[in-house]
Amino acid sequence: MAPKSDLLQGTLDLLVLRTLAEGAMHGWGISQRIQQLSKDVLQVNQGSLYPALHRLEQQGLIEAEWGNSENNRQAKFYQLTRDGRKQLAEEARNWERLSTAVARVLAGL
Amino acid sequence: MIRYLTVRLGSLFGREQLERELDAELRYHIDMLTEQLVQQGLSHEDARREALRQFGPVDTVKDGVRDAWLSRFVEIAAQDVRYAVRSLRRTPGFALLIVLTMALGIGANTAIFSVVNGVLLRPLPYKGGDKLVELHQGAGDPSDPANDIGFSVKDLEDYRQARSFSDVVEFHNMLFTLLGRSEPLRVSTGVVSANYFDVLGIKPLYGRTFVDADDRPGAPAVLVLTHDYWARHFDEDPQIVGKVFRMNDRPHTVVGVLPPVPLYNPQGTTDVDVFMPTSACPFRSRQAFVDNRSGRMMSAFARVRPEATLLKSAADLDITAARLAKDYPQNYPQRDFRAVGLPLKDEMTVNFKPTLWILLGTAGFVLLIVCASIANLLLARIVRRERELSVRAALGATRSRLLRQLLTESLLLAGGGGGLGLVFAALTMKLLVSFAERYTPRAAEISIDLTVLGFTFGLALLTGLVFGSIPAFSQRVDSAPALRDGSRTSHSSQRLRRVLIVAQIGASFMLLIAAGLMLRSLMNVQAVNPGFHTEHLLTFRADMGFDKYPVSMPFAERQARFAQYWHAFEQRLRAVPGVSSVGAGGTFPLNELPPGTGRLVRQSHPLPPGMQPPSINVRFATPDYFGTLGQPLLGGRAFAESDTADAAPVAMVNQTAAKQYWPNEDPVGTRIESGNGSFMTIVGVVADVRQQLDRAPGAEVYLPLAQAALLGTTWILKTDLAPAELERSVRAAAQAHDADLPVSSFRTLADVRSITLTPRRVVVALIGLFGALALVITAAGIAGVVAFSVNQRTQEFGIRMALGAQRGRVLSLVLREGVALVLVGLAIGVAGAAVLTRLLGQMLVAASPQTSGPLLVDVAPTDVVTYIGVAATLLLVALVACAMPARRAASVDPMVALRAQ
Repeated sequence: MAPKSDLLQGTLDLLVLRTLAEGAMHGWGISQRIQQLSKDVLQVNQGSLYPALHRLEQQGLIEAEWGNSENNRQAKFYQLTRDGRKQLAEEARNWERLSTAVARVLAGL
Repeated sequence: MIRYLTVRLGSLFGREQLERELDAELRYHIDMLTEQLVQQGLSHEDARREALRQFGPVDTVKDGVRDAWLSRFVEIAAQDVRYAVRSLRRTPGFALLIVLTMALGIGANTAIFSVVNGVLLRPLPYKGGDKLVELHQGAGDPSDPANDIGFSVKDLEDYRQARSFSDVVEFHNMLFTLLGRSEPLRVSTGVVSANYFDVLGIKPLYGRTFVDADDRPGAPAVLVLTHDYWARHFDEDPQIVGKVFRMNDRPHTVVGVLPPVPLYNPQGTTDVDVFMPTSACPFRSRQAFVDNRSGRMMSAFARVRPEATLLKSAADLDITAARLAKDYPQNYPQRDFRAVGLPLKDEMTVNFKPTLWILLGTAGFVLLIVCASIANLLLARIVRRERELSVRAALGATRSRLLRQLLTESLLLAGGGGGLGLVFAALTMKLLVSFAERYTPRAAEISIDLTVLGFTFGLALLTGLVFGSIPAFSQRVDSAPALRDGSRTSHSSQRLRRVLIVAQIGASFMLLIAAGLMLRSLMNVQAVNPGFHTEHLLTFRADMGFDKYPVSMPFAERQARFAQYWHAFEQRLRAVPGVSSVGAGGTFPLNELPPGTGRLVRQSHPLPPGMQPPSINVRFATPDYFGTLGQPLLGGRAFAESDTADAAPVAMVNQTAAKQYWPNEDPVGTRIESGNGSFMTIVGVVADVRQQLDRAPGAEVYLPLAQAALLGTTWILKTDLAPAELERSVRAAAQAHDADLPVSSFRTLADVRSITLTPRRVVVALIGLFGALALVITAAGIAGVVAFSVNQRTQEFGIRMALGAQRGRVLSLVLREGVALVLVGLAIGVAGAAVLTRLLGQMLVAASPQTSGPLLVDVAPTDVVTYIGVAATLLLVALVACAMPARRAASVDPMVALRAQ
């Protein structure tokens, strides 16, 4: 298993928003998806995930609803709001700019 | 702590629901993880354990989420506050009115509470102050000054053996003359055991207090100054330690200065100026006095051991007293002899308690009235805002949200009221301290400390919460029907307002009764004829240094010298231009210094053995004393110049004594004995005088100044000159007579009389202020309720007038409503006053043994005149309050009224 990397809060928020852009998901699903997409590099710490979800909910970027999950059990589903989509686009742009700049610096040494 | 608060506040925000949901959410995650691990091959139990391990501590996760919630709550609260501020700003007059009203109510209570706190609640500023007691011994109840015989040196040696006490210290108060300043000073001296300050737990500010070496016979005389005296006479000079002054014919060195702690003088009403050890007191250090078991002039304080209780120490005292009475029958009263120890704190505050409770009670009433009034105002406002609240409800605000915002408004108003009230109270601090000084030495401890701040904060919070929750009971804040139907309001709100106003009227009535009774008492006391003139009289003290005529001189010779001394001084005073008459005595009526007491033995009425002769006041007078004061002679003659020290001993009695002890005979010509073996012939009867305006005169006997050997005298000069001018001449005359004679306390008798009235005047002013406040607030409340009701009934009035009702009829309808409210309120008030009077009972009319007189003077607590007066005032005020709304009702245009909503 690849070493776990700690995620900064802002980065985690971005990943969560990105994951939810694909559709409504519960906390378990989000954590699995991030792990899957990053090929197991990123394993989200639950101590950060759930506070982040609740924070994003209070900021109005995502909204929550209890519904039936795949195995017919009650779970809390989150989905992006319109503000959330806007925020995601902006954060993604910022991340792009930042990582490009870092790459350029590392390459141009 | 924070967790606790957030849980409590959180419930206000629907916290339980959130917790349950969070729990379910996390549980789902763990279940899914467990299933995944099972699919990977682990057993169910192992999978569960592994899942929990991978998930991490659940509580930590929950805490993380809760932190996110907390910031949300704070944000919501901030939002509520912003909204509340905006809403209040829209009606600034209303908000200001409420804040002001609340400030008055809270301010009054904070002020009075700060007094209660400083004087009664705070522990004494001595180390272990609650274990200090003052001892008394005597026959019957020794705590009554009439029965307290004081302590001798030998008494105290025996009481020191009592096991419950770690130590017993003595105190007695003497007036000495301090020489070495620009003029001789009279100092009130506390003569104490060497470890007095150690036992009390008082550390010096500068220098040191006494040590055992100071108290040995023949030790060099030392002094410790009290803070007040040092500030007043020595300008707070830190170099005072080491200075030497001359007192009692010996050099005295100042060794220390005390911090500003309250000091209790059990032997008089004057403050102690300096302290000295017993070896420095010329009376106390005489061997004959020390050896005499019956030589009693000291008071005593004791410290109870930490492991003993006050109860146990009381038992020890009883045992010791009984043993002493048995072992030395000729030195102790044989019947009913007891010794008691009273907590020092109680002794220092007992005079103040009745007054304080009354003030606290009235302040509490003011607060209740204020609260009812504000509740009324808020209810009225909610009704006015009903439309706004309904709109918001329709737009999606939950009931709890609306209630929360109304609560925030109330809390903001309460906070403002509390803060402003604190400012009001702070402004009155100095006044309160000087008011309390007359009653207790602890007056200087009155201040706004943390306890008082906590009290104010708590009170403001409580009132804010109470008001904020009223809408929850009285209104349906989320009812859509209100939108449809204009200004219809629920009847329950109007009924609640009526209940509140009636309660207000009842409370105001009781408050005004208290004010009225106190005012009548004051007027009665002011009208009292003290039995003599008070105009054009200047008084002062002259205290001869006792060392002038040494104690070694035989008594007869000393007596003659004293008489000569004072007589010469009297001649000089007579010669001062502007003085028309001179009188002298030990004290004078209305003075803080009371007359001495003695025992009356009539030659014609021998006492059965073992019975105590009755106690009687003893006054001294020069021949011109009565004439100067204007105290009429009722029979026989006054003292004359011929009643000299070597002439036959004579006496005079006052009318009360004559009636009481010589009911069927003329006392003139009979003989009495004063207790030291010598008999005097009564030569005259004089009219009664009042030592205190609010207490009836007691039996008194007068002795000629020339036949006593008084060190301290008071002088009364009849004059038309200005007091300041006369004082200068008198000081010059005193200086010429004897350069070492201190003269002090120059006051006109009229001023002295005024001073005795001051505490009562202050109390009346305070309660009167409260009463006036209550009246204004209640009047405004009545006006508000009636105006509102008129508003509601506009349609009805319009119909009535359209159908032919006269204006006057409508007017009377409105007035009737107002009067009905007042009558119900009065009924409640009368009932309440009756109950309260029954509960307070004796406290109102009893006089406390020491300085303060009864609260009510010559007026019964159920005085009909006062009750009728107050009721009439309230009715009148109510009618005036109703006048405006009534006029408006009567001037309604029927057409407009009918067309209105």
